Formats: sequence, structure tokens, C-alpha cells
Amino acid sequence: MKKFVSLFLALALCCSVLAAMAEDITLKVWDGQDDQELLQELCEAFAAAHPENNYTFQYGVVGTADASARYLEDPAAAADVFVYPDDQLIRLAQADALYEVTRNHDAIVAANSQGSVNAATYQGTLLGYPMTADNGYFLFYDKSVLTEKDVETLDGILAAAEKAGKQFNFDVANGWYLASFFLGNGGIITLDENGNQICDFNNEKGVEAAKAVAAMCAHPAFLPGDQNILTGTIGDSVCAGVCGTWVADAIKERLGENYAAAKLPTFTVNGEQVQMGSFGGCKILGVNTQSAYPVEAMNLAEFLTSEESQLRRFAVRGYGPSNLNAAKSEAIASDPALSALAAQSDYAVTQLIIGDFWTPATAFGNALIADPAADVQPLLDQWVAQTIGQ
Amino acid sequence: MKHHVNKRKLRASIGLHTLLTILSILWMLPVFWLLISSFRKEPGAYTPYLWPKGFTLDNYVRLFTDTRLFNFPRWFMNTLFVAACSCLITTILTLMVAYVYSRLRFKSRQAIMNISLVLGMFPGFMSMIAIYHFMKAIGLDQTLLALILVYSGGAALNYYIAKGFFDTIPKSLDEAATLDGASKHTIFWKIILPNSKPIVVNTAINAFIAPWVDFIFVSVIMKDNYNNYTVAKGLYTMVDKANIYQYYTVFCAGSVVVAIPIVLLFIRLQKYYVAGVTGGAMKG
Repeated sequence: MKKFVSLFLALALCCSVLAAMAEDITLKVWDGQDDQELLQELCEAFAAAHPENNYTFQYGVVGTADASARYLEDPAAAADVFVYPDDQLIRLAQADALYEVTRNHDAIVAANSQGSVNAATYQGTLLGYPMTADNGYFLFYDKSVLTEKDVETLDGILAAAEKAGKQFNFDVANGWYLASFFLGNGGIITLDENGNQICDFNNEKGVEAAKAVAAMCAHPAFLPGDQNILTGTIGDSVCAGVCGTWVADAIKERLGENYAAAKLPTFTVNGEQVQMGSFGGCKILGVNTQSAYPVEAMNLAEFLTSEESQLRRFAVRGYGPSNLNAAKSEAIASDPALSALAAQSDYAVTQLIIGDFWTPATAFGNALIADPAADVQPLLDQWVAQTIGQ
Repeated sequence: MKHHVNKRKLRASIGLHTLLTILSILWMLPVFWLLISSFRKEPGAYTPYLWPKGFTLDNYVRLFTDTRLFNFPRWFMNTLFVAACSCLITTILTLMVAYVYSRLRFKSRQAIMNISLVLGMFPGFMSMIAIYHFMKAIGLDQTLLALILVYSGGAALNYYIAKGFFDTIPKSLDEAATLDGASKHTIFWKIILPNSKPIVVNTAINAFIAPWVDFIFVSVIMKDNYNNYTVAKGLYTMVDKANIYQYYTVFCAGSVVVAIPIVLLFIRLQKYYVAGVTGGAMKG
């Protein structure tokens, strides 16, 4: 009898050791629909690299744009590891959604670009793993119509386009693109130390920028409209436009050999050339504070944002890496869209917006399209008042 | 004199028909545009010209075969399943409730009728977050069963058209049947229902269409469970900013395919449908 008991205990011990060795861990991961295939490939690679646990992955389809909204609807049902754009960081941080990055903190900070680390940091705490650094915009153009000299200035683009009977597309009715004029001319939109919105687009400098927007709107070669207009017309009636990497494939397909990209042009303020600014954003991988397996989730997040994973992501999806070593690789340096984005990144700022900036920006843009001669000061005042919430 | 009147009538008729023609063209144009976009060869959401440069069946082929990113066949079957189930439950529930209000007399009848009417006026999505949490509490979140329950749960509140129709069926039929020994149950199935084909069809069509066009509830309940999406939610994922260029024409093809079962059902049952709406409207 004693023998049996000891045998049983020994067996039980073995079982528990085995169980401790290979724990069943289920992690839910969110990414956009078109990134699922790559996500699964990388997650399986992670499981293969960590045989000490039995990993099961659940893949949820939540695009970056919806991440914070889906998360906040039901944090407990949300993914353990999910992708979000840096402009949602504040909202998620305030909802206490994100685990602070504590494991390998210094290595992660050192490996990624300063801008992307800043974008993942809220009040001095790193709250996510930078994954891409390509959420910005730049100029696409048709080499057969515009020269490298033309695309240096907005005036040059518009003049050359008019001469060739073509048009230049810019989405004036979208605050994300529209802000490039204001940011370029020294405008500031950010948060103060108390987390309140600051925006000075209605000062003297802002009025100058707005007049430059109005002058562009009044130009016969200017064509307003969103990215669908650009991808539908470039190569035909349009010779250049401002958009981001997600339309690069479509534009490459339409322009073929004439495909080219550059940083944003300069525009004229009081007879002088001013470089257009822009918003530069990153996609960040966050770990849910409600995760049942935070350590494993962090390991996965780190794996998914490693140099190798970022290079693979570029190879498969064309996303620009935030990892410094990956960004230096030859494949990325020779990609026209990513080089243009890198050139523009010197003039890009992180998007720190919590106020109602977008809707009044659209109203402002549409007002200038309808009447470029409109008095911009009251329009700007209205925009800024709504943005800072007064 | 008579000649003059005829001329005036003729002129009015021409004027009216011109107006109707213009209106119908305006109404048909988006549908027509959707149809030709679904056969368009060039990708992208926007083209600077109206008539496509090339036509292809590829969009439809891709819709059903390229399930790597968007599993349309699965979404279609999901929707069909949910629509069929909720159609069955809704129709039976609605008609039974209408029968009770029309034929039975009990103390709280008027009060319950009024309360149902008022409750039915609130849009269902007002309670969507609460519904999601109820579903989650009983472990039904992100399932098709939850959708069926949501689409058919409020059925009893939409009794009034069916009740109006039942009111037009002479009570003497019921009385005669009762004299012959029929129970209320028998009367409902054997006498009222065979006499109410139009309203049965009307209720069924409305219940069948709901899951095809609903976007709100399926978004709230399915969240990230991509395999259980219905067509409305699924098709919408095709047109986000990263996919719209490649998938816009496929999206159009999907929209056309979604319309097919509804249109077929409608054409087949049209004569009942019109009779059902007008029959019910005669008496409230």
C-alpha cells in the first residue's frame, strides 16, 4: 500500500513538473485584416522559439484605427496584445489599458528611433513596443511631368502641372494633411503638462499659413479630394498628390516607371519659402493590463517588434520600420516611398491631439475650397476654439 | 368642350409621366452605377469617367474564391442562416401576439397593447451595450445564436399591422369554428392563418431582410470574431483605407450578390406583400 502511495505521489510530482514545464497559454492578438497572414506567421515563429510553453493564439480582426474604440467597449474581451496608432495612446493610457514596458526596457528604447519611443511614451512611461514608423505623409509624383526641381516648391508643382494641363491633389478637407501648412509655418498643436490641448493656428503665423492654403485652393491646377481621388486619377489628369505609404502600391501600379516620391514641398509665405511640416505617427504594440499572461504577452510583443519581425513586415507588407537597424537596411533605403517619408520625418511632429480638431478642420478646408477669398481669421478662431474646447 | 378637357388631361398625363420618369431615373442611377462598378475592370473607388474602360467577371470570382482576406462565402451563409432562423421565429411570434390582441379579450389587453406600441417606437440599438453584456453574461457573445435572439427578440412589439389584418377577418368564422368544437389553438392555425397569407408573407419578408441590412448589432455583438460576421459588417471591412483600392470593385460585387436573395424573395411574393400592407392599414 505504501508503495502505491509513494508511486502515486511520484507520478503526481512528475505530472506537476511536466505541467510547469509546458503550460497551456492562450493569447489573443489583434491586427488589421490585411495583416492577419503575417501576424499568424510571426506568432507561430514565436511559439516555435518558445517551446517551454504550449501557445495557442486567437487572432482578432481589429484594424489600428478601431483599436482603442474596440478595446474600451470591453477591455476584458479585448486582445492581450494589440496594435494601436500613437494618437490613441493618450486615450488608452487614461483608461489604464496599457502595461508599462518593464522587461528589457533599455534595450527596446535603444533599438527603436527616438521619435517612435517618444510616441509610445506617456508622462515619462513607456507604454508599448514601437512596431512601425510610417504613419505619415509625403509627396507622390509623376516623373514624366514634374522634375526633381519642380517638386521642391509648391509653386513649382502647381506651375508645372498647369503648363502640362494636369492637376495637383491635396486633401485640404482633412485636418491631418491640412495641418502641414500650419506646422511648417511654426504653428503648435500639443498638450501642456496638465494634459490640456494647446493650439495656436489662429495667430499671425497661422493666418499666413491659411492664406497660403487659400492661394493653393484658388490655383487652377489644384484638385481637392481624398485618397480615392488621388489613386483614381494619378497618371491621367493628376500628376502629383500628398498621401501615405498605404496607397504606394496603387500609385506604383498606375504610374509604372514614372513613379516617384519626395518629401513635402516648401510653400511661399511673404515671398519666402517655408518647408511644409507634417504629423509623423507610429503603430505601437500594446499589452492589455487585463491580460491573464502579462509576461508571455510582453515576450510576444517584443518578438513581434524585433528587428527581424520588422524587416519581415517590410518585405511582406511594405511597412516602414521603427527599429534603427532595420531602417538602415538596403531594401528599405531603396524604397522611394519610405525614403521620402524618412526625408519628411525631419519636419514631422508627433500627433498630440485630444480635442475636437478634425471636424472643424474639415469645415475650414471646405470653406476655403468653396471660397478661397474668404476672411480666414474668423474661420481659424472658430477652428482653434473648438480644438481647445472653449 | 369635351375635346378641350381631353387635351388638358393629356397634358397633365404627359407632365406627370415625365416627372415620374425623371424620378425613376434618379432612383435607378445609383443601383445601375453599383452594378456597372461591380463589373469594372480597373480597381479603385474613384474613376474620373463614368463608363468603365473594361468589363470583367473577375470581381465576382474573387469574391467567392479569394477568401484569404475576406471570407465572403462564409459571411453569406452566416447571414442566410441567421435570416432564416430569425424569420421563422419572428413570424410565428408576431402572428401569435397579433392573434391574441385581435381575438382574445382580457383585462390588461389595452394597457399591454399601448405599452408594446410605445416600447416598439424606441430604436432597438438604444440598448445595444446592455444587450452585449447580457449576452456575455450567459456566454453567447460573438455567436450567431446571439444575433438570432437579437433580431427576433423584439418581434412581439411589431404586432399592429398583423393585428389590423386579423381584425378584418370576420369574427363569425371563429364563432362557427368554436361551435364545431375548435379550440383557440386550432382556430389560429386552421382558420386565421390560411386566411392571412398576405400578412404572413409581409411579416416574413421584413424579418428576413433585417439581418442583411443591419450593421449596428452585428458590430457590437461580433466585435473581432471575423468568422461570424454577416455580410453587412464583412463587406464594410473591405473598404477601409488600406484595402479600398484593391477591393472596391469586389465590394460592389458583394453588394450586388447580397441583393439577389432579397430581390428574388420580393419578386416571388410581391402580390402578397402589397395586399398585406394595404390590408393591414385599413383598420387599426
